[in-house]
Order: sequence, then structure tokens, then C-alpha cells
Amino acid sequence: MPDVKKRWRAWLRAIHRDFGYLAIGFTLIYAISGIAQNHIEDWGDVSFKATERTIAMAAIPPTTPEIVAVKSVADAVGLGTPTEHARAGDELRLDYANGSKATAILGTSETTVTIQARSRRPFIGLANWLHTARHKNAWKYIADAYAVLLLYLALSGIFMIKGRLGLKWRGTILITTGILVPVMYIGLAGGPDAQKDAVASTTSGEIHSVPVGIGAPKKESPTPTLTPTQEPDVKGPGSAVLVPLPPDDDP
Amino acid sequence: MSDTPDLDRYPELAERWSRRSFIKSAVAGTALLGFGGALMRLAADDLTRAARAENRPDGKPRLPPGQRVLEFLRPMGGDEGDGKTETFRLKVHGACKKPFEVDYANLLKLPQVEKMADVHCVTGWSMLGGMWKGVQLKKLAELAEMTEEARFVILEAAHGFTANIPMKEAMADNAMVTYRINGKPFSIDHGAPVRGLVPDLYFWKSSKWITGVKFVKNDAPGFWETRGYNNHADPWKEERYA
Repeated sequence: MPDVKKRWRAWLRAIHRDFGYLAIGFTLIYAISGIAQNHIEDWGDVSFKATERTIAMAAIPPTTPEIVAVKSVADAVGLGTPTEHARAGDELRLDYANGSKATAILGTSETTVTIQARSRRPFIGLANWLHTARHKNAWKYIADAYAVLLLYLALSGIFMIKGRLGLKWRGTILITTGILVPVMYIGLAGGPDAQKDAVASTTSGEIHSVPVGIGAPKKESPTPTLTPTQEPDVKGPGSAVLVPLPPDDDP
Repeated sequence: MSDTPDLDRYPELAERWSRRSFIKSAVAGTALLGFGGALMRLAADDLTRAARAENRPDGKPRLPPGQRVLEFLRPMGGDEGDGKTETFRLKVHGACKKPFEVDYANLLKLPQVEKMADVHCVTGWSMLGGMWKGVQLKKLAELAEMTEEARFVILEAAHGFTANIPMKEAMADNAMVTYRINGKPFSIDHGAPVRGLVPDLYFWKSSKWITGVKFVKNDAPGFWETRGYNNHADPWKEERYA
């Protein structure tokens, strides 16, 4: 009987060890991208490195042939020949083979060109992409398998070691701590419903009224207010062409 | 004589000693990191303090509870569209008499508005005073001759993303499909070429990479609303989660 017990625990440990090795790659991906997701309000989406710069150039008159306008903007941008370009309203957009985009806003006094580019960061960009299994077919099932693997690691860990380092002392204390932390957090924070109650009390109070301007764009408007700056004064679609669609079956 | 025991002679003690040192160092390091992080937050919060002292014209505080101010929109991820103006089409349909589709060039020929609006992300940041340019949702409703039975507007976006907007917020003056902020086009991570803007609700309702505006009789909770986020999402009531 003791042999059977020993063998049982030995198997548990052996599988735990091998599953642990298997889990390393997945855990690095999920843990590091998990930290990035946890702090998305502080760091934003760190998957990409984005750059943006704006240049001003002389105004391009509306009568300028498109090909000439494209060349003028492309010369000012300095990224070579664009692969595609499109004109819409007061915009002229240039696309480049490396994914960069230049958008020229054709003003009457000057043309402002915004050049945008970005690249996926090597590890975190892919880890973040893998973290959400949505729209990833096979990865969804691989992620499920990893979750099952983690469950095994957690549950087998309980019984791997016997004695004072196992459930008789250290194991029980640490397991209880691990369970108590989330339980206590819910208890102390009051759970999801407590937030609503707290909000009700903060939003029903007196309203302050010291108008101080804040926000972007600072240079153009140091004291922005929330009033409309332009209202449309056109009935109907103006000169726009709207393509009629058949009515929906289920509005 | 040193207080430190002769660890070479007592390996068991050495193990305990090093463990104790490790735990002490870990606790000190964590405390230092936490303190540093708190200091950084405090230093960067002047904008938030100033915004808390303001009110909107409708009497609500400029900054909803639980928000802090950032100077720029923060990229928050999502399933991106292709970002191209050439392939962009906006379908305006549902409970209306004249559903239509419009491409990018013709969208820019529709009556435009440029409005200043604050936006509030459910994760806790707000960006105030952005100048947004686009076409109001109420203009699209007028052009499509939305019927009286419509009660909600669904903003449809790339890869099947949807967000449901009650008619009140959708038909507000500041709700629009927008293609420019502060005189600049959106970058792909902020929804280029065209995104929704419904500033009076949490920012996830302002669908990026927008493809359609659908008027519906019955509410249809969208992507985040079916994943634990609040169906209405009023920032002043802190309606973050379901």
C-alpha cells in the first residue's frame, strides 16, 4: 500500500514537472501581456510603436491638377513615391509601401501634412495579439488547453509534497492565503455593486463652478469651452452622392 | 566580532539567512516601486485637479468621477479595420425609409460640423477639449429618413464590433461620425479613417473603424455590453460595468 501511495505522488510530481516546462512559454506570453493589459489605462496599447509628425507647406490652390498636388506633397514629406493616393474634400492622402501615411489638409493659406507611421513591437506586440483568442481559430483551443494545463498545475500542486512542507502546515497556509487575498479584496472593496453606490453619493453633491480652460489643442485655444464652433447650415446631402440600399429585413 | 553568523559552517542557517534577506529586499523593492509610482501620479495630476474645478454648460462636472486627464488620446487596442479611405463605406440603414451607403469622398461632401468635445475612457482617463470634425449622427438620420419607431442606434465597426447607443445620446449635437481631431486625421489605432463619437457616454461606445450606422426598434447590446460592461455607460453615473 505505501508503494502505491509513493508511486501516485511520484507520478503527480513528474507530470507537474513536465507540464511546468510546457507552460513556461505560454506563461511568459500571458503574464507579460497580462501586465500590459492590466496597465492599459497607464501605458495604452503597447503593441505598436507609433510616430506622428506634422509639417506645413505652401498652400496648394484647388485648381492644381491632382498629380501635381501629389508630387508637391510627396516632395515635402520626403518618403519617396507613394504607392496610392486619394483626394476627398480638403484632404489628399498618400500611402507608402512601408505602411506610412501622409494626409495633407489643403487650406487656403497653407497646407498641413500629417505623417503617421507605426510598427509592431517585437515581443509584446505579438504577445498582446495572442492574449485575446478572439478571431484566432486554432489559438482559441490552444489557449483552452493551456488553461487546463494551469488547472492541473494548481490542483496537483496541492498534493505534491506531504508533511509540514505540504498540507500539514506550509501548504495549507499558502493555499489559504492565496484564496483569502481575492476573497478579502471583494469583501473590503464591497464587490461590483459597491462601486455603483459610491458613485451615486459622489454625483449627487453640490456642483462647483470655477471655469478654467483645459485640454487640447492648447496653443490654438487656451480656454476651450464646450460650445459648438460650426453648425451645418445645409439641408439634404449637399453635393454628396448617397448610394441607395434596399431596406433591412429586421430593423 | 561580526553579528553575522558563520554561514559556511551552518548551511541550514545560510539557507534561512539568504531567504530572509531575499524577502526583506523584495519587500523594500516593492515599497520603493509603489512609492515612486504614487509620486509620479501626484506630479502628473495638475490637469486633473484643474478639470475637477470646472463645469460643463449643462451643469455636470467637466470631469466625471473616477477619471484623470490625459493630454492625448491613448491607444486602447481592438480589431482594426484596414484604415483606408479608398475602401471605406458607411452603411446607414435599419429603421429608416431611405437607407444608403456613402464612401469617404462623399462623406466629406455632406454637411460637416466641427465641435469641441471631451471623451472619457472606461479605464479611467479622459481627454478634454479635442476639436472633432465630421457628420452628425442626427444628420445621417435625417438623410436616411429614420422612422419614429427607432429607439436605439447601433454603431457597426470592423470585424463585427457593435456598440448600442440610446437615441437621446445618439441624436445629441456632439454625436457624429468623425474623421479628424484637432485638424489631424486619426491614426489607424484611433479608428482611421472614420470613427464614431458619442462623447456623453464612455468612449468604447464611440466605435473605431466604423462601417455602419443602424437605427433599431429594440436594444441590441454590443461587443463590450455583452462582456460585462454597462449597457448605458454614462460616465457621470460611473456606469462602467454591468
